[in-house]
Amino acid sequence: MTHTFRFQGQIYKIELMENEGQVKAEINGEEIPLEFQKIEDNLYLVLLNGRSLIIGVLKNQQHVQVFLDGDLFELESISEREKRQSSQLSLGVQEIKSPMPSRVVKMLKKEGDEVKSDDGLVVVEAMKMESELKSSINGKVTSVMVSEGDVVEAGTVLLVVSSE
Amino acid sequence: MERGRLTRLRSTETFHSKDKARSSKVFNKILIANRGEIAVRIIRACKELGVTAVAVYSDADRRSLHVALADEAYYIGGSPPGESYLVIDKIIEVAKRSGAEAIHPGFGFLSENEDFAKRCEREGITFIGPSAEAIRLMGDKITARKIAQEAKVPLVPGSEGAVSDVEASVLASKIGYPVMIKASAGGGGKGMRLVKSKDEFESSLRMARSEARSAFGDDSVFVERFIEQPRHIEIQIIADSQGNTVHLFERECSIQRRHQKVIEEAPSSAISARTRKRMGEVAVRIAKAVNYQGAGTIEFIMDQKHNFYFLEMNTRVQVEHPVTEMITGFDIVKWMIRIATGERLPFKQTDIKMKGHALECRVYAEDPATNFMPSPGVLEYVKAPSGPGIRDDSSIYSGCEITPYYDPMLSKLIVWADTREDAIYKMGSALREYIVLGVKTNIGFLIRVMRDEEFRQGDIDTRYIERHPELLSPGEVEVEPVLIAASLAMHDSNDAKEKSTTQPVSNWKLYGRRIGVCGSSGL
Repeated sequence: MTHTFRFQGQIYKIELMENEGQVKAEINGEEIPLEFQKIEDNLYLVLLNGRSLIIGVLKNQQHVQVFLDGDLFELESISEREKRQSSQLSLGVQEIKSPMPSRVVKMLKKEGDEVKSDDGLVVVEAMKMESELKSSINGKVTSVMVSEGDVVEAGTVLLVVSSE
Repeated sequence: MERGRLTRLRSTETFHSKDKARSSKVFNKILIANRGEIAVRIIRACKELGVTAVAVYSDADRRSLHVALADEAYYIGGSPPGESYLVIDKIIEVAKRSGAEAIHPGFGFLSENEDFAKRCEREGITFIGPSAEAIRLMGDKITARKIAQEAKVPLVPGSEGAVSDVEASVLASKIGYPVMIKASAGGGGKGMRLVKSKDEFESSLRMARSEARSAFGDDSVFVERFIEQPRHIEIQIIADSQGNTVHLFERECSIQRRHQKVIEEAPSSAISARTRKRMGEVAVRIAKAVNYQGAGTIEFIMDQKHNFYFLEMNTRVQVEHPVTEMITGFDIVKWMIRIATGERLPFKQTDIKMKGHALECRVYAEDPATNFMPSPGVLEYVKAPSGPGIRDDSSIYSGCEITPYYDPMLSKLIVWADTREDAIYKMGSALREYIVLGVKTNIGFLIRVMRDEEFRQGDIDTRYIERHPELLSPGEVEVEPVLIAASLAMHDSNDAKEKSTTQPVSNWKLYGRRIGVCGSSGL
């Protein structure tokens, strides 16, 4: 039972195993003993070194949401084949997507511009509110797919930043 | 009896008020011209009073909780509010068709719409709220300011309207720096300039005017004193049709983002009993000045020296009304209905006592890490907290959808405890019981605020969130439980399809093995 996830820009390999009644997780080579109960669909009780955690989970194909202590985390499960392909991705090709149906208000960068992590790339407006989408890596804008005034669907790739 | 009930715990109120309501002349049927949690709140109040509740809904709200909980529900049009909840003709038509004698407007939508209140009156339907005249007077900022001035209510020192360049400069020196220059037609921070000293004034004025011209096509500006580290404090008032007006103490709503409240509490940790009394008296004066009837809120801005100034009056029920209910044991929504039937307030100001401390957190579908960007979508799974002193006013359920058409508020989580400190602990623990999957929420942010030392000390003002960017995201994340949960999720949903081929792995089997019910065969 091995899974590989991409989480917050990093790749983690986790194996769940059971040995003489003891469940263990091996994460990137490190063993962690644990107990767990499935309470209902989407809800697990995990005991980690005696610590009791109630964790919400939602799986949608490769995408997994984990809700722990008020925060929602998003992970992507990747297969061995994808992992090889994505070694490139983890180096830093970043697609900036529209998080919801919105209107492109302002492009802050154009093709070829150098960007630093946390630089604003594009301003979109949805529900009468403007938000700035930022880069999470250092790199260069390699392509721009939209222009100011465009109305885009959720998930539309607006521009691509690459660290190459 | 009334007096005893007021000082008693809130949970008993339902039973006491039921008998009372049945004996008085209450409406048979009320239409709720709203949606979401406030519609649910009003529907519940109606049911507790033995009144038939009529809901209205748009396309986006066909599966909403307020529709399911109402006794009757009628479709009123498309999802954008302009096609449904804001269309006066449609609401009136449903009221007539259903035979509703009164309309409760909730907040937002038509709640502060003078024309709607007038129309109800013309149609012989009771508008549960103040008169159209009171809505008009308080709805206009300049008129409201004049009324406040006549009622000897303190106002932020400043010009009484648009000023010329020369007037502005003279006035700025008179009221003392720092001052704010604000566009008369303004809003959303545009055309606003903070001026710290006299030598900055001229250039700031020029920039404010040019910004105002390009944003609103009108370059008139006014000048007022800049209140440093202001706190937002408001007084809840309630008045019957005979003019008996009382206040139900204050709420502090200083924790805001985008000028919208996120965390509210009652009482305020900042004001003395004396200031409270003074604010209450001032609020009652304003309400009386417009012959106010029903529940209303007078908002003040307070500086660090506890000088308070009138901001505006909200002529409707407020989102954060529950914190007042929790400390007074007073059901504001039910009283709005009773007052609309002509019932007199059976108590005086001195009968109203407050007890303990209440906090409210607004749980939103939004991402604090990206400037509180709304995050609409389907709530695939919801688990709400519970326990003594915990109240969750919401309209969400597993499977419901948060659409982009309306405010993305999911719930108002309210707690009550003996002291502010206990209330903060209780809120923190209740928030940690909340689980929402499918959309991003601000729950983690709210938990971090409850742990923040400045918040705990009551050291808050309206710029608190701006001062604390570190609270917006989780910081260092403990990855192990997240990864473990994620792989359990993968593992679980792999079950069905893998059953026939590879090794069957059931959690129950795994559990059985662990507790030794059946033999281990390895994973």
